[in-house]
Amino acid sequence: MKASLATSAALHALVLTWALVTIGSPESFDVADVEAMPVDIVPIEELTQIQQGDKKAPMAEKSAPVPTKRQDPVVNAENSGDNDVDLKTPPTPNEKPQNTETAAAPPKAEKALPTPDPAEEPVEQVQPSEPASTPATEVAAEAEPKQEVTPEATPEEKPAEEAPAEVAEAEAMPDNVPVPEIKPQPPQPQTAKTPDRKNEEKKQEKKQAASAKESDFNADEVAALLNKTEAKGGGAKRSTETASLGGKKTTGGSKLSMSEMDALRGLIQNNWSIIPGMADATEVRIKVTMQLDPDGNIVGEPEVVATGGSDAARRALAGGARRAILKSAPFDKLPKDKYDAWSEVVVNFDPSEMM
Amino acid sequence: MEQVGLAATADVSLWSLFMQAGFVVKLVMIGLIAASIWTWAIVVDKTLAFGKARRQLDSFEQVFWSGQSLEELYRTLADRQTSGMSAMFVAAMREWKKSFERGARSPIGLQMRIDRAMDVTLARESEALEARLGSLATIGSAGPFIGLFGTVVGIMTSFQAIAGSKSTNLAVVAPGIAEALLATAIGLLAAIPAVIAYNKFTADAGKITARMEGFADEFSAILSRQIDEKLQPRQAAQ
Repeated sequence: MKASLATSAALHALVLTWALVTIGSPESFDVADVEAMPVDIVPIEELTQIQQGDKKAPMAEKSAPVPTKRQDPVVNAENSGDNDVDLKTPPTPNEKPQNTETAAAPPKAEKALPTPDPAEEPVEQVQPSEPASTPATEVAAEAEPKQEVTPEATPEEKPAEEAPAEVAEAEAMPDNVPVPEIKPQPPQPQTAKTPDRKNEEKKQEKKQAASAKESDFNADEVAALLNKTEAKGGGAKRSTETASLGGKKTTGGSKLSMSEMDALRGLIQNNWSIIPGMADATEVRIKVTMQLDPDGNIVGEPEVVATGGSDAARRALAGGARRAILKSAPFDKLPKDKYDAWSEVVVNFDPSEMM
Repeated sequence: MEQVGLAATADVSLWSLFMQAGFVVKLVMIGLIAASIWTWAIVVDKTLAFGKARRQLDSFEQVFWSGQSLEELYRTLADRQTSGMSAMFVAAMREWKKSFERGARSPIGLQMRIDRAMDVTLARESEALEARLGSLATIGSAGPFIGLFGTVVGIMTSFQAIAGSKSTNLAVVAPGIAEALLATAIGLLAAIPAVIAYNKFTADAGKITARMEGFADEFSAILSRQIDEKLQPRQAAQ
């Protein structure tokens, strides 16, 4: 036993010395300072959504198109430009710079009327402007009246750059001669979505109609026709900001922020009163869908759909929800630039959370 | 920041860790190292002893079953230092001789005496084989606890020191904890071989004892036959 004890002790001494010599002090962790990598969370909307701007401009914090010369704002204009009327077509450069007044937006010549009878004209002129729900490719039948009413139609030829050659031919024809076989002009790509343009046109058309009734000659109309030369295209949205990278138009996809949604919710909730203790009220769910115009007013009637609960509770709560919505209108606190996000609002009412 | 600088320059080698440790932790570490030395001493001793015992069993069995006369075998072994099977053989033969020298009357009594003598020898031999295995078991089971005790005490003191220094910087905390953990490491270092060795040696001792028991039974049977053969002619002659 003594021998093995000695052997064991010797072995331990050996191992300990070896450990002390070789293990020693471990390498200290020297952590090099690593530069923190900045990480941005980019929602896909930022990539798919194009902000209005200029294609050649550098990236900027705020999206803005090329600055326009004119600063008078045109309501609801979407396309950037110096035009009076918001048009989608790009502005064409003036070949002959003309010193024309740019007061009124002339109606666009788009389609030849099949019956160029002067007597019927006023009626026909007013009619096309009447329907409020004109489709996007609204065509204002305005080519002919000018020809007939105004003997001075010839000056149109000169500035009408966008008008194709057929128009020129048609206009060059002698006045007051019925031209039933006139070649219908191809409808221009111009679209007038915005209600304001319609209004403008409506006004003008009314004016024209009125003037046509009174007399054949009207200086305003002549001026308006002359001014048409200026409307070559381009939008009417003014901009003062420096141009930034972007497309022609802001595409949809803007979202209301949480705080904006909360504000909307709070607004409606304040006006929503529930009769306490109503049976089955907690099971009722009400969904209100409403269309809003850019000023925050409700367009038409809000559509109320109630589900669950008893019939009486459903009716009572649906009425309450509808009243709350109507009372809360107009929703003018909503950000105007995100109108596409709140043009249609769906509000879900859950009475169980109110009780 | 000053403390960080101090801690960074602190020596964290094994020896400095041991020297930095408190009195209790040092004691635990020394005790555990001693236990480890003892464990390995037993391991070396038992390995040698068991090897020797096995070799002796093999050689004895070879001699025993070689057809040699038992009287002759007894004469050669009687004066020697014997262990294992040979010790049992010598004890049985001695009892046999004594009984016949005095003129045994009852074969059953003689048989019983021989068996007793062999049992006693077997017990003594197996006790010798299993000697000190108990301490291996103790070290194996208590070693980690002793190490843990050292660690707990070490961490306790180092936390007290941290409380005194009013800094929770890892560089301040680390050396104390490393030093305390060293105690557990040594405890495990002593306990693991002890447990393994204990299991192995208990099994080995069991095997050797079983072999000796088998031999005892066989030898008892042989002697029983001999007794019958020797006593019956005598009874027939009377």
